[in-house]
Amino acid sequence: MNKANKANRAINLTKNKDSYSISFNAMASPCEVIVQSNDKQLAQKLGNIITAEVWRIEDKYNRYDQNSLCSVINSKAGQPVAIDEETYLLLIFADHCYQLSNGLFDISSGALRKAWSFHGGSAKNTQFPSQAQVSAALSNVGWNNIKFDEQKITLAKGMEVDFGGICKEYAVDRALILAKQLSDKPILVNLGGDLAVTGSRLNDETWQVAIEHPDIDSALNRDAIADMIVSLKSGALATSGDARRFIIKDGVRYGHILNAKTGWPIAKAPRSITVVAPQCIQAGILATLALLQGCNAEQFLTEQDIKFWARR
Amino acid sequence: MMYKKLQLTLIIPILISTTGCASLGVEPWERDLLAKKEMSLNAAPIDAALDDHVYFSKEASSGGKGFGGGGCGCN
Amino acid sequence: MVAINTSGNNKMNNKMKTEKINIKAALTIATAALLGVSNLAQAESSTISGTEESAWEFDSAFLFYSEVDRVSAGEAIFNAKKTFANDEVLNLKLTIDALTGASANGAVAQPTVQTFTRPSGNGQYDVAPGDTPLDDTFHDTRVQLNGQWTQLIAPDYTASGGLHISKEYDYLSLGINGNIAVDFDRKNSTFSAGFSYFQDTFTPEGGIPKPFASMLVGDSNEPTWDEEFAKTRIGSEDDKSTADILLGFTQVINRRMLMQFNYSYSMVDGYLTDPFKILSVVDNNGVSQDYVYESRPDSRIKQSIYAQSLYHFDTTVLDVSYRYMWDDWEITSHTIDSRFIIPLGDSFGTESYLQPHFRFYQQSAADFYRPFIMDSDPLPAFASADYRIGEMTAFTVGLKYGLLVNNGHELSFRLEYYSQTSTDAGFEEPGVLKDVELYSSVDAIIAQVTYSF
Repeated sequence: MNKANKANRAINLTKNKDSYSISFNAMASPCEVIVQSNDKQLAQKLGNIITAEVWRIEDKYNRYDQNSLCSVINSKAGQPVAIDEETYLLLIFADHCYQLSNGLFDISSGALRKAWSFHGGSAKNTQFPSQAQVSAALSNVGWNNIKFDEQKITLAKGMEVDFGGICKEYAVDRALILAKQLSDKPILVNLGGDLAVTGSRLNDETWQVAIEHPDIDSALNRDAIADMIVSLKSGALATSGDARRFIIKDGVRYGHILNAKTGWPIAKAPRSITVVAPQCIQAGILATLALLQGCNAEQFLTEQDIKFWARR
Repeated sequence: MMYKKLQLTLIIPILISTTGCASLGVEPWERDLLAKKEMSLNAAPIDAALDDHVYFSKEASSGGKGFGGGGCGCN
Repeated sequence: MVAINTSGNNKMNNKMKTEKINIKAALTIATAALLGVSNLAQAESSTISGTEESAWEFDSAFLFYSEVDRVSAGEAIFNAKKTFANDEVLNLKLTIDALTGASANGAVAQPTVQTFTRPSGNGQYDVAPGDTPLDDTFHDTRVQLNGQWTQLIAPDYTASGGLHISKEYDYLSLGINGNIAVDFDRKNSTFSAGFSYFQDTFTPEGGIPKPFASMLVGDSNEPTWDEEFAKTRIGSEDDKSTADILLGFTQVINRRMLMQFNYSYSMVDGYLTDPFKILSVVDNNGVSQDYVYESRPDSRIKQSIYAQSLYHFDTTVLDVSYRYMWDDWEITSHTIDSRFIIPLGDSFGTESYLQPHFRFYQQSAADFYRPFIMDSDPLPAFASADYRIGEMTAFTVGLKYGLLVNNGHELSFRLEYYSQTSTDAGFEEPGVLKDVELYSSVDAIIAQVTYSF
């Protein structure tokens, strides 16, 4: 899978009316960079630099890639592994998220994936683990059992870390920093729906980002609901949750967001939450933290005065 | 004549009671098709308004889908 | 580094929030540390306008309607819709139409030339032998305004209210409506109840004719004409009110299918007669002896049931509806309307669709409908020869083609053919009426262009 991914590393440049669009695949998602400029050389340069950065981050933190730093850390659980500054900063950030969520968000919860398999859609091949399986997996989860400092990280035996919950958003922010260094033209970076812009488009126009309306469900009142377009002048937008990844048992739908404390999926959470924030990683974490609140997801964001759209 | 009316008015409660059955309906995440514009009951309101006006002025029946109403001297 | 609020709309609830951890601010600090962003200040000062308030959406349409040898009409609609935050919807609609041409006056064709007085009393017109008498003075212009406000009043409860005003040269209509819809069972079912009320005033040129008064035919330049004509009139204006109640139930059947059932009850009171319509009074040989103004009851109660179903096949959508209407004038009607939406994808360079349309309509005659009056029979309480309340069958076939043009605007074209055939409800045809066409047909072409932006 990894080899195939790397073989897929092509960059496509398309000319639009007043912009160039650079599309590529990364982190198992279709990605796109739009620069509002007719300078083809600039577009190519941006494409090369941004894809290099995104693919670098993917290669470093993809837990499915045996050569990634993440896999090395996981495979050597029980012994210290040397880390660089970037990884240290990501771990510090993950620690903040753990504290802020009272332990609900935990990048060491990857071990739970052994118990849970979310293929979604067809309820037939649903795998629903027993409590014993969940408990077994849960014994290998716990942020507090991970020791790290600026030089090294040590996982307790059997543990795994997974940067998947923050990696894509981090890559968006990194890509944007590099883009800003290269050009002051309006640029949008979109990695599979998590996106950020350098600022408003030319003539102070906003970027129009389409979001599925969260409440397009009513049969009769649909006329009263317009398709929603978010006008983004600056900042970032990230979505957490995935409509396709869930399992159904006894008529109850379980989303793929797991409670790191119980090892079970969060009940009554929205299907997805989209948040707007200055940086993409903030938006992504806020969306995920909200999902972890289950039925209180919307309340959580409202109380924090955060602009969001929830889809239930 | 009267028999026919009675028969037809009875259809509504029967249909409602059968459609009230628990097996009907979809979960929110199964609304991909229903969410499309062409699956709304009044997908083309402008066409409907123009048609209503034509048929209201040419035929003895009006309304049913929405209000039949008066509203113009064309009838 | 300090805690920073990033969006502009956080002035409210500050007191409440101080007790909770300010996660947003804490995350901002953590993010700054991670990304080492010097541009944090920039993010802070930026406005993030993520709004649910959509821009105005506009629909404009022009329809041309033309009957063979009869009425032609043009109708333009301009619709503006705005969705505010919280899904409140304001819809404003302007309709302008103009109509001109000839319309059947109700009299029967004769083997001889017939002369009729215009409804205004100013002048006369002749109808050739064998022709269905048409009054060719029909022309009117109408302006209509509608406003509708729709909003959620509680979770799952949607309320809507609207105003209507329509003005013609000789007609004024004012209306209000209200509706409430309740969603339940995961919004798979919706029950709705609505009412509407219209108050109309009719001021026909030439006034309101006296029911069954004989049409004055003669020289309108004679000094006594105006006085004589006035004797056939009972006033200059009259009004009517229409009150409707509509109950609806919508049910999602499955992922592909949706159904709606409506019941409507409509009470119309007041002047329901058509002041421009007359009846021929014929002798035993079917020869016209007189023309009298029609007369209809001053109330009508209409009821209807309506069922509609939408079914989504793999790519196409079938929309079928059926309506059964009945009233206390003993008119019953069946209407079947169906549309089939065929998406054509990008096959013509842009996203487009084709939509065939078929409609069938059949009605029975009102109990007081008669194509003419026999002079040997006693005068009925009510009578009208208006073909629109007689027995008829009609069908419409049409095709619509829609395509997406620049910026996702939709352009569509619709062409329809409407054919209406009046049928004999079993009236005896004496003498010369056997040789003329008593029940004529109307064929019309409807062409429409719509642009949504």
